[in-house]
Formats: sequence, structure tokens, C-alpha cells
Amino acid sequence: MSYELRPHTADVAVAATGADLGETFAAVADGLAAATCDAIPDTGERFSLTVRAEGLEALLFDYLDQLIYERDVRGVLPVDNEATVREAGEEWVIEASARGVPFSDVTARDVKAVTYSEMRVEKRDEPRFSDDRPKTDGGWEAYVVLDV
Amino acid sequence: MTTREFDGIQLERVREFVWEMPREGDMRVPARVLASEALLKEIGEDKTLQQLRNATHLPGITGHAICMPDGHQGYGFPVGGVGATDVAEGCISPGSVGYDINCGVRMMKTNLTYDDVRGHEEELVEALFANIPSGLGGGGIVEGDMDTIEAVLSRGVDWALEEGWAVADDLTHCEDEGYRPDADPSAVSQKAKDRGKNQLGSLGSGNHFLEVQRVTDVYRDDVGDAYGLEPEQIVVLIHCGSRGLGHQTCTDYLRKIEKQHGDLLAELPDKELAAAPAGSELAEEYYGAMCACINFAWVNRQLIMHRVRQVFERVFDRSWESMDMHLLYDVAHNIAKKEVHTVGVDPQGRPVEGGEAADREERELYVHRKGATRAFPAGHPEVPSAYRDVGQPIIIPGSMGAGSYVLRGGEASMDLTFGSTAHGAGRLMSRTQAKQEYWGETVQDELREQNQVYVKAQSGATVAEEAPGVYKDVDEVVRVSDALGIGDKVARTYPVCNIKG
Repeated sequence: MSYELRPHTADVAVAATGADLGETFAAVADGLAAATCDAIPDTGERFSLTVRAEGLEALLFDYLDQLIYERDVRGVLPVDNEATVREAGEEWVIEASARGVPFSDVTARDVKAVTYSEMRVEKRDEPRFSDDRPKTDGGWEAYVVLDV
Repeated sequence: MTTREFDGIQLERVREFVWEMPREGDMRVPARVLASEALLKEIGEDKTLQQLRNATHLPGITGHAICMPDGHQGYGFPVGGVGATDVAEGCISPGSVGYDINCGVRMMKTNLTYDDVRGHEEELVEALFANIPSGLGGGGIVEGDMDTIEAVLSRGVDWALEEGWAVADDLTHCEDEGYRPDADPSAVSQKAKDRGKNQLGSLGSGNHFLEVQRVTDVYRDDVGDAYGLEPEQIVVLIHCGSRGLGHQTCTDYLRKIEKQHGDLLAELPDKELAAAPAGSELAEEYYGAMCACINFAWVNRQLIMHRVRQVFERVFDRSWESMDMHLLYDVAHNIAKKEVHTVGVDPQGRPVEGGEAADREERELYVHRKGATRAFPAGHPEVPSAYRDVGQPIIIPGSMGAGSYVLRGGEASMDLTFGSTAHGAGRLMSRTQAKQEYWGETVQDELREQNQVYVKAQSGATVAEEAPGVYKDVDEVVRVSDALGIGDKVARTYPVCNIKG
């Protein structure tokens, strides 16, 4: 899984990919951390969070929103994000965890919020093989603009 | 007819500095861009115009959706945008206010001159940096418990006055006297209050800052006198908003609107324009929550300003009162306010665009200003009595390189822009690009050595992202505002010390 910070006039965007939804969402969360500070130390304890939402984009939105909340009330930067995403009836659920690096250990900036602006959560296609093998699952990609 | 086209969007020149996007397709009203050719070219480079066009889809939008000279891409609604929707039949849109509810700016005067401060810059910038929380974490000037937060949300700067963080004049020189009576603290979520509790009296980061400045020019002597500004005078500018409390509130309501009014949302071209129908419970709740956040932001700026007074006392060894450290004015630039404006109406009394109007009447509108400042002219009853003869002060932060401006509300603002003008210089360069072009420490060194501007920041990355070169030309923005008569130039200031998160 991987992420990249992308240019946006006043804010910052994160583009991420992963083999499945959970990896992809966790990669976006790592991108959120990277937008907040440049050098991430090894300190901090892991904590968990579970979020439910009515759709995939809403889930990504609410997951990142919850991370920002945890950041502010725990006083830590959530890094090394891990997550699994599953459908549960009419809802989507993300069960995630992060390592919370104490603010005192980093030089970090305030990312204000996640936005829906230009948000994408899409399955990626892989090119078909030339023989009759089934198309390999290309994984997922996501794009989010963060308000700085 | 002179036209310009950007990415398939056509603008027609109505007159100098006024460009119109005619109403077509699903646009409910036409849009206008107020800009010189140079600024228009920059506005056309990102998605500002598409977002402006999208904004014309808001239910009950009246007159024009307007883009200020400093406009740039935001989300949903462009930054530097003004959209007025009918209170009775339109909507209220959190995304058209912005995440940072009541991000705004205040200027405090002093009776010090640049000569008094020269030689003390390092000491002053260190003391300010040490005593005003900034960046991520860092706490707040006031350690808030839940009772404090409730009181702040409910009563705004009145609370600060009771607790000894303000004097009466601080209230009379603030937009709305620092207090929105429509505030409903119960409409602000616990999550938002949890975030705000640790941030009461803090600067934040990004483009927020505190700057000690010197007045370099006064362009209109009569207004300069009324405002108490003169060349070489030291003033202090504070730019910040409602911190995590406001950001969370905007987020909460975007999601609530999405869940409850999904059908209305589906008709809007951008989720971030999410709007609650006027008269709905959610519209009332959001308005009440927004007003509470507005109160929080005013208290935030008040606490910081009062702390600056205390820092100056220590550095200059005399009372702040003896240094005449009085508030000039405080303006919000991310806000929606119920205001009465005169609009054109059709024979049935419904608002229509100028050309088709049968009559004009007063309507109550939610004037959404996102990265735009109220600019009421001389004579308007809401301008503080001390300034009523000359017009409402407007403070426009530029950049660390170009300086800032004080304007006064112009005669043409009510007709042209629902009583609004620009809020700043507007960004030109993305943050990621800025970090590639500029190195924070180099920017800091150059500002100190070449410009005698002393900057202290929590993070070098912020300095790089806020380097002078990333902003549009504020001189040009102000020139257009002045020429249009929406915000007239009064004074110019230049940085001496700057702290940021």
C-alpha cells in the first residue's frame, strides 16, 4: 500500500493505493499523518477505533474525521495506520488501529479537516493477460483533499 | 463585448474589473468575478470558476454568486466567494462558510513607533512565540473545562469581559460586538467541544499568524484619523479562527445534511455545497451551532490579543493602557449572517437578477462569505459609532513580503457585493509546490536580513508554505477593491515580527 501527497492550491491532497479497501484507507491515513509532519519517530502506543457509515466515501470521510478527533483529544499523531473494511448489511464498517506519537515528540502542523472535495474511492483495473487467465484484482485507489 | 474563456467557461466584461458568467443550464443566477485582467488570469488557472458556477446552484441564491479579486479554489464554494441565499425560501450551506468558521482577523493599535521597537525585535518575537500557543497541541491560553466552553459558546466576548480578558472597548470595536445572540451551544457536538476545550486561546497553524507591524502609509487622512492610524505606528495583527471546534462543527453538519437531505444534495454539483433547506430543523440547528462557533473564534482572538498586551507590558516595562493598546476592529471572513439587503424582484415578489427586476425590495438573506470580508459603508447602522462617519474598517492580511492593508467599507459595496470585499491576497502556489520551491529556514533568514522581518514558527514547513512568493499580489487585489468602491484603501502596514504554528 502506498500514498502520495498531491498539490492543491490552498490545501493538501492524498492519493493512495492498496490491495484491498482496508489497506487503501490506512494508506490515506498515513498520508494524513505525512501532511501533518515530515519526520515521524518510533514512539507512542497503539490505539483502536471503529467507524460505521452508510457508504464507502462516507466511511473514508468519517474514518479520517475520527482520526483527526483522536489526534486532538489524545494529543497524539496517528501513524502506522492499519485497517480492515467490510460490508455489514446496509453499512460499511472500518476496524482500524494506529500508533499515537505524542505531540511532544514531533514538530507537527494542524490539518483542520477532511473534505469531500474531489474525493474518489475506486477499484483499479489491471490489464488483462494475453491468455485466458482471469483478470487479476488490481486493488483500490483513493483520493482525498485535506483542509490545512 | 470583451470576453475571456477559461476551460470552457465564458466571462463577459460588464465594465472595468467586473466580469459576468451569464446564467445558463442549471445555474439559478449569473455569477460575477471582480478582478483585473492579471488577477482574472490567475483565477482562471485552477477550479475557482467551476466552483463559482457550482455555487449558483444553491437554492434561493439571489443576485449573483460573486468571486472576489483574491479568489481561488476551495472545496464546493471558492475561497473569496460571496453567495446570498433567501432566508425564507433558500438554504444555508456550511461548505459556503468554510471549515474554519469565523476565521478572521483583528488589528490592535499601540502608541509605539517603529523606533521604539527596533532593537527589541528578537526579544519580542521570542516572548510572543513563548506565550501564545500555536501549532498542533500546545494547549490554549485558557485551560477550558466544559462549563467554560459552554459559556464561551453562549456569550462570546461578554464572557471574556466578565473573566478579565477584555475591556468594554474591545467589544464595541468588534464586528457584532463579539457576540452572536443566536448561538445555540447545544447544537455543537460533544466531539467539537472536546477538541475546542484544549484550544481556547491558540493560533493554530497553516496561514494563521500573529504579526507585529508598522504603518508605512496612510492614504486617506480623514479615515486614518478616525481609525487612529499614522505612519510609523506599531500595530498588531491577529489572524486565526475557531480551531478544532469550528472545523468539527462544519464536518458534523456536512454529514448530517448529507444523511438527512440527500435528495437536495444530489441536485447540487458538489457534495461540499451541502445545504439545509431554509426553515428546516437542520438549517436552524446549523445556524445556531455556527453562531456558537463564531463566538468561540472571537473569544479566541480576544484572548490572544489580551495576552499580547501582557507580553508587551513585560518587554516594554509599562502598562498596556499606557501604550494605548486598543482594538481597531475585528472582522470575520468565513461566516454566514442574516442580513437585510435590497434586491430586485419580479411582479410576484421573488428575487430575480437585475435586468429582469420589476421592483426592488428588502429581503432577509443568509450572506455567506467564505474568504470574504464584510465591508459596510459610512452611515450603515452596524458600523461602530466611532467609525460611522467614515465606514467600517476592513483588515486585509497580505503576505510576509508584501504587508497588509486597512480599508474602509466603500459606497458601492451594498449594491455590488452584498456589502463585502476581499479578505487577503489569495494563494497562488500549492503547499506541496511551495515546499519544493522554498526552504523554511532560508525564507526566515532572508526575511530577517533583507527585510528586517523576524519570523518564528513551530515548523519550517509552515514558513515555506507561507513564503511571500506563494501569495497573489495583495496590492493588485486592493487596487481593484478600491477602484470598484467596495473597499477603499486607508493604510498600509509592513511586518516587523511574525509568529506562526
